[in-house]
Amino acid sequence: MSKYFLLLLTATTIFFTSCDKDDDTTPSVEAPATYAFTRNNESTVSFSGQTTRIQMATELINGMKDFSIEKSQLLEMYRNETEAGEDANPFSDADLNVSTKSVRSKVAASKEYFSDNVTDGTAIKELFETWINAQVDEVFPNESTLAEAGVAGQIADGSSTRYVNSKGLEYNQLVNKSLIGGLMLDQILNNYLSTTVLDEATNIEDNDADVLAEGKPYTTMEHKWDEAYGYAYGTAADLADPNKTIGADDSFLNKYIGRVEGDADFAGIAAEIFDAFKLGRAAIEAKDYDLRDEQVVILRKALSKVIAVRAVYYLAQGKSALEASPANYGTAFHDLSEGYGFVYSLQFTHNPDTGKPYFSKAEVDAFIADMLGDGANGLWDVQPSTLDAIATTIAAAFDFTVAQAAE
Amino acid sequence: MANKSWILLLFVSLSFFACDDDTPDVPDDNFDRTALLTNWADNIIIPGYTDIAQGSKSMVQAAEAFQADPQPQTLNNLRDAWWKVYLVWQRVSMFEIGKAEELGLRDNLNIYPVDTEGVLENISQGNYNLELPSQRDRQGFPAMDFLLYGIANGDAEILEAYTTGDDAEELGIYLIAVVTRIDELLDVVLADWTSGYRDEFIDNNGNSATASVDKLVNDYLFYYEKALRAGKVGIPAGVFSGSPLSTHVELPYRAEGDQTLLLEALDYTQRFFNGKDYTSQQEGVSLKSYLNELDAQKDGTLLSELINAQFESARAKISQLESDFAKQIEMDNTKMLEAYDELQKNVVLLKVDMLQALNINIDYVDADGD
Repeated sequence: MSKYFLLLLTATTIFFTSCDKDDDTTPSVEAPATYAFTRNNESTVSFSGQTTRIQMATELINGMKDFSIEKSQLLEMYRNETEAGEDANPFSDADLNVSTKSVRSKVAASKEYFSDNVTDGTAIKELFETWINAQVDEVFPNESTLAEAGVAGQIADGSSTRYVNSKGLEYNQLVNKSLIGGLMLDQILNNYLSTTVLDEATNIEDNDADVLAEGKPYTTMEHKWDEAYGYAYGTAADLADPNKTIGADDSFLNKYIGRVEGDADFAGIAAEIFDAFKLGRAAIEAKDYDLRDEQVVILRKALSKVIAVRAVYYLAQGKSALEASPANYGTAFHDLSEGYGFVYSLQFTHNPDTGKPYFSKAEVDAFIADMLGDGANGLWDVQPSTLDAIATTIAAAFDFTVAQAAE
Repeated sequence: MANKSWILLLFVSLSFFACDDDTPDVPDDNFDRTALLTNWADNIIIPGYTDIAQGSKSMVQAAEAFQADPQPQTLNNLRDAWWKVYLVWQRVSMFEIGKAEELGLRDNLNIYPVDTEGVLENISQGNYNLELPSQRDRQGFPAMDFLLYGIANGDAEILEAYTTGDDAEELGIYLIAVVTRIDELLDVVLADWTSGYRDEFIDNNGNSATASVDKLVNDYLFYYEKALRAGKVGIPAGVFSGSPLSTHVELPYRAEGDQTLLLEALDYTQRFFNGKDYTSQQEGVSLKSYLNELDAQKDGTLLSELINAQFESARAKISQLESDFAKQIEMDNTKMLEAYDELQKNVVLLKVDMLQALNINIDYVDADGD
């Protein structure tokens, strides 16, 4: 055994040696151990608006499972205003009611993808409302109906009970998982980490000269970076050291960074993401914008991959539940409803090599049409081969296999 | 260059070497899986379901007698009949395959803690459909525990609830609905075994992931791990929650008897491993004989002996517990945790060592939790 160990050591050393050769510029910027940055002994980190939106989105997805809630209240949770456009107080958390922020205004709203494409942006914002409406109109009345092909109602998934529409879809899952792309990912990758936002107006000059945002302890560029960070870690138990509880802090991006980290094939990705956020922020302090942009590339790849891995995972899980004997429809529908949301979220990913999403809106819409198109009753009719084909196409655009993501 | 590829080759072969370590060799397996499946079906599973289906008929009769005339004697008769069926349930709960799997038999018959608020809502409102998945924790054996022991304080008040209480009539009707549903579900499962599924089960004698042996072994391990180890001991002892949950025991209202149910479950889990005939207790073709034929060993001892010894260690720890686990948890939870640890040791032997020897893959994962 020690012979093998020696060889391993040799091989590892060589591996590390060859890495060093590619990397002849030693970075002069060092990231701190945690996401803590100060100026004159005052913290310059701020992302409370992101925390607020994660909390609003959480109340919304929980509300969708409350059969006694009014439709208007759910829509107000999404918009944080009444139908007439007036101030609304739909949340159980009073701080959220006071806030003027809303989930809807930041869905499909990134500068890079949607500032000149409000057509799609608006359609996407409205699709979420369609799902919220349909939950109340189609699923709530059938609370005590057994679901079957073409009939909304409840269905067993192991010892859990799921509530699906006539095609087997859980609207609350569509909203939950699609928000991960439409809100969190789009805002992080295509808004706050985009040079159109980071370098907007006089941001570089101001940051170079330590000119602070009016009345704030931070420069505008620092703050934009923090806002990206906040969509991933805004509800972490330790906001400066979030990987201690990664996956346990929300039902959105944080949760699924944690889930992908938990798959041995992708272990290390949580540290990779956090380290890039940290180093990028330190690079801004050090006015090293090349180094900052290198971190943006890392984040765009890694966070896009989180979405893709989960999309493939749920498609594969749904497929195996359908192939079980007897077929386990409840489990399959739950997995595929989650998968639907992650597939939908792919249009908000960002491939740094092309500057575009790994899959366009049209491609994502086609995947979804395939998922629901094997028969008249959507998921009740979907064929395992259809799910396999979508999963294979998604994985092929990334550096992992369906098998790696599937377990 | 030549040097580099030499190292690369070493590195690659090294990683292959490491991978080989994880994959068990396919056993040189001439084991008679048909005989194994036949012993399971004919001598263990079908006799077990026959037994419980008969018991459940007596329970329905006792419930009807009680409903017609609620008094101490009919109450005790019903309690005895229910208890007898609940014990037999511990012997067959592990066979969640075929119709039982399709129906989710265990989730319909034995989810606990029972949703008492939901039960009371059903009783007062009257329009319930026990076939709905959302109603699973308002029925089954745990609902009976509540209806027979927990609906009021003490036998006198319980009888009052069924005779002069505000919802006396509705309560009796609900009781009948619950026993009838248990009875119907068990009938459907037994009928499926005796009208074709037995042959299908035995004919599916291959060794793929969908073959009967692989599937039932998975169901058996899932049962042992989730329902027996976690459900009966780990969850109430707080293994998964940090602090003990004494209200999550199997019999919160009868109180006495948690230990009896667990021991029954453990006995029959071990009997299944050893292939013991349901009535004669004679050993037949089994997981044990399968492992022995493969000469599966661990640290120089037969794996089957280690597994049986571990069943004994767990039984020894459980025997020291109070009959009422809620009491045990409140008095001295450490003993519960010790019992859990002994049960857990067999998860490793069964799920890792046995499955490797038999070349069976696990087909379930821990639920995603959302």
